[in-house]
Amino acid sequence: MSAFHYAISLDMINRHYSEPNRNRYESKYYWEELYTLIAAAGFNRIEIPYEPVWQFGGRSGVPMTQYSINTKYGDAKQYKAFLADAGIDAVSAISFDANLFVRNNQLGFYFGASGHFASQAIEFAEELEAECLVLSPTAYAGRLQHYHPNLNVDDASFIEQTRELISNLASKAKAAGVKLALRPEYWSLLSIETLTHLVAESDNHVGIALNTAHLQLAGADTTAFIADNAARISYIQLADTQLNDCASFRHAANPAFPPAQATQVFSDVGCGEVPLTQAMQSLQQAGYNGQVSLCNHQTRDPMRALLRNRRFVNQLATQLTGA
Amino acid sequence: MQNIHYAYMNHWKNIPYKSIANFREFYYQDKSNTAYYSDWDNLLKYQKALGFDGIEVAPWDLADILPLFGSADAFRQFAQERGVAITGMFHGAHASHDKAKFDEVLQAGKQAVDTIAGFGGTQMNTCPTDNYCGIGPLSREEVAQCANVMNEIGRYATDHGIKLGLHNEFFCGINLSDHREFIELTDPRFVHYCIDTAQISIMGEDLLDFYDTYAERISGFHLKDTADINQPDSVRFSRDPEIQDDGKRWFWELGQGVLDFPALYELLKKHQYKGWITLETDGSPDYLASMAMCRYYIDKELNPIYR
Repeated sequence: MSAFHYAISLDMINRHYSEPNRNRYESKYYWEELYTLIAAAGFNRIEIPYEPVWQFGGRSGVPMTQYSINTKYGDAKQYKAFLADAGIDAVSAISFDANLFVRNNQLGFYFGASGHFASQAIEFAEELEAECLVLSPTAYAGRLQHYHPNLNVDDASFIEQTRELISNLASKAKAAGVKLALRPEYWSLLSIETLTHLVAESDNHVGIALNTAHLQLAGADTTAFIADNAARISYIQLADTQLNDCASFRHAANPAFPPAQATQVFSDVGCGEVPLTQAMQSLQQAGYNGQVSLCNHQTRDPMRALLRNRRFVNQLATQLTGA
Repeated sequence: MQNIHYAYMNHWKNIPYKSIANFREFYYQDKSNTAYYSDWDNLLKYQKALGFDGIEVAPWDLADILPLFGSADAFRQFAQERGVAITGMFHGAHASHDKAKFDEVLQAGKQAVDTIAGFGGTQMNTCPTDNYCGIGPLSREEVAQCANVMNEIGRYATDHGIKLGLHNEFFCGINLSDHREFIELTDPRFVHYCIDTAQISIMGEDLLDFYDTYAERISGFHLKDTADINQPDSVRFSRDPEIQDDGKRWFWELGQGVLDFPALYELLKKHQYKGWITLETDGSPDYLASMAMCRYYIDKELNPIYR
């Protein structure tokens, strides 16, 4: 009997890149129907990206900031009640990255804005009673290097400033009752080794958010990673990709879109080459019984992705029972 | 000799690729139209093919465009190679009504001017301050403060070869009751006006009277239609009204709303307007289709009047 609690990440909706019909995603009605469709696909939890961009310019229809929720629902409590009516019983996690704040050659601006808005994201998680904040430890390496060409992966000074930022956020998260889960990423300015070391030296309130596609793209052995870090894994993002290597684009300005050869880096869950069943078996063996978010980043068809996810989870239930 | 040059306001949202070398292969990955809307190379070619020879960018485009191309000038060259000029950039003069924030607002305005200069643009279309909801109604002193800041930014812009064009939204803190008073308070040497045909009509201005009155101040147009002119205070002063909860659209393709564009073009002819007119398609589910619809309307209905 699986003890995993599955969630759907709202990240599957393309908020930022050009495509026909994208206009729908900025209005409240779209999201309110989406919650019911997530529930209809058999999922009762959602993960929400925290994106400060939606509190600027009157785009509060996208439910990804405190401002949006307060504008459209009054407060988080009323939003949660709305979600419950739609069949969504819990917010599994809030996720946050700082790519929006890589805008100039001032690292002080980057770290200052990151800290300010990540703190808002922690408050958002607390208000929505989410267990954890999934934090991208750095913005895209390639975007940072555009403005800071001398920055290299694991730059000592950058690590130190990141360590300080994470330490401050960890204190806030702890006070809010929210776990801070750092996500190893193939596009990061922190190597996976450095990130796991950062987590290891932090108190137990800082954990790891394991994203299966990121680990594969970064060249890590997922099974070994789970075995080595089982005690610190706080959250799982099941994500898929058909790629095994990211060397040619991991440091691109936008590493989700390989510049030399256009491709969809992330596949719908279950449609790529990541050995997801094996990863879940490893997690089961390691005693993980927490939340598992299905991440369909870059999906071309959210509705099809939802049903693909349901098909995958149904198959997985059989496979795990037999494991 | 053409008096009007048409541009397109960049509503494409973020574009992830400069160009796609493996177009056929990319198409086959999911056999959808994703490949057709993912690179600047094709999008610029689409608008060039439809006769939109310029593009106006927005500040929220910069975070992706600059790292993707390396610099504003590299983007300018890339567009130029496809026959498209960068006309300028939109700018929001947040909090310009607040005297205490004068230096901050002026500095942000100067930075925007510098950015536009980097792109080789000549227009800075500027929303005068924040949304009405949250700051309105403005006092006469606050309206004057907005004008004061615009004059200073406009002076700097003029010195750098760029025209500051006021661009009023229907939900802006500067609104129907003080719109013309505000314009009169600005210095015509440094501050011009970009008419957003739909926005000012929704706000309650008479589009034709407004243009006829201020023709000498007009530095550009944002061209789009609306079916909802003269909206009441309850709409204009509400929180975040531009994106409606139920998906209602304020803006439509030329000819799909109620604005009298042929009459406007008669006035353009009367005043011998010369310069950019920038098509906007915000709210459309299909920018390319909207652009083509508008091109047909321009060619059939407007060009015979004035071009």
